[in-house]
Amino acid sequence: MQLGTEAITSRKTMSSARPEDPEHAAKLLSRIAADQSRAAFSELFRHFAPRLQAYATRQFGNEQTAMDLVQETMANVWNKAHLFKPDRGSAATWIFTIARNIRFDILRKNKYRQHDLSADDLWPVLAEQNESLDDDYALDQDLLMQQLAVYCDRLPDAQRIAIQLIYIEGKSQQEVADALQIPLGTVKSRTRLAIQKLKELIHSDD
Amino acid sequence: MIKFHPSEQQLVEYVAGDLTAAMLMTVGTHVDMCRHCQSHVQDIEEKLAQRLFGDVTDLPARWIANADVMIDEIINAAMPVHRSLSDSDNYLLLEGKRFELPATLARNYHRIGSWHKMLGKMWRAPVDLGSGEVLNFIYMGTGAQVPEHTHRGTEATLVINGVFVDESDEYRDGDFVLLDGQHKHTPQTQQEDCLTLATLDAPLQFTSGISRLLNPFSSLFFK
Repeated sequence: MQLGTEAITSRKTMSSARPEDPEHAAKLLSRIAADQSRAAFSELFRHFAPRLQAYATRQFGNEQTAMDLVQETMANVWNKAHLFKPDRGSAATWIFTIARNIRFDILRKNKYRQHDLSADDLWPVLAEQNESLDDDYALDQDLLMQQLAVYCDRLPDAQRIAIQLIYIEGKSQQEVADALQIPLGTVKSRTRLAIQKLKELIHSDD
Repeated sequence: MIKFHPSEQQLVEYVAGDLTAAMLMTVGTHVDMCRHCQSHVQDIEEKLAQRLFGDVTDLPARWIANADVMIDEIINAAMPVHRSLSDSDNYLLLEGKRFELPATLARNYHRIGSWHKMLGKMWRAPVDLGSGEVLNFIYMGTGAQVPEHTHRGTEATLVINGVFVDESDEYRDGDFVLLDGQHKHTPQTQQEDCLTLATLDAPLQFTSGISRLLNPFSSLFFK
């Protein structure tokens, strides 16, 4: 039964639900982060671990060291899935950067490389707070919110109300449309215009 | 606006972790300061990830059979305590001035040694990488000049703050300059002072007139 269903599923649908598909891989990571889903981890593991193994064996020429890299990388994928940021890059890229860090530290510990830099200090992929420079927003969140509030007050009423309902009260665009008894398309265009206007206000103050 | 960047090859080796320790620090600090190279690094990470995880024909089949055992081991293992990052200090102090350190340097703050006066208006503080390589902060006050020199090896200089000039150009915050034995230059500051991070893989060779007398002392610039 199971086999039959798979056989008639088109190739396209099949591939869209496999870890090669970036969106699917990102979903698997978010399921690990949210519910510690063993099924999701198992799916990622079966895709990424053998590839890591092949790569690490070529790198180290040593089965055991290669296995250490695989195990440590995948353990971090399991324990640190909440640190994956989908807006920064794909799941595969995130896993690659973890493996890169672990390889770097293995090369140092095994004395292939003479220095005492740690991978985490060079590339803080697994730091709980990623304080990298492009995180300007995170730094002054409160200040930013205060400034945004000032800008919001300068929006036309209709746009300001849409923004408040969506971004402050957390309503969906459909809920806003229902509450205000206006078409969904109008909510969408008001939101879009408001965000555009906010961007202009912010840049004009730079 | 940053004018001088590491080469494509250097960025690839930075992403892979295959540069020397001193170059990893220098290129990494440039990347902290340069949005252009940050996005370039993201592209390279993606490409290297694709290469690593792309079409693989020789998957170790015997090993896949053990996947469940390994998965259970990982899931049942105690969550590793990840070493928390060293308290990073973000500022470097010299002569009553305060310089903000880019993230890579701030995370490695504990490696920065104390300041020593060199010649004239120049100061040097070493960064200890445990690699025997030479990585220094070099501070030039206003109107300071290093006598004309060339390099036996390669010199990489990254401007952290301020501006210096030489015969060919002007270098400002974030500029990454790589010079080898073919380049002669006389770096100097004018109205502004300048803090740089510099790595050398061999002592300077002073080339002009009386400053050749400095050659026996060029280790001043080196260690």
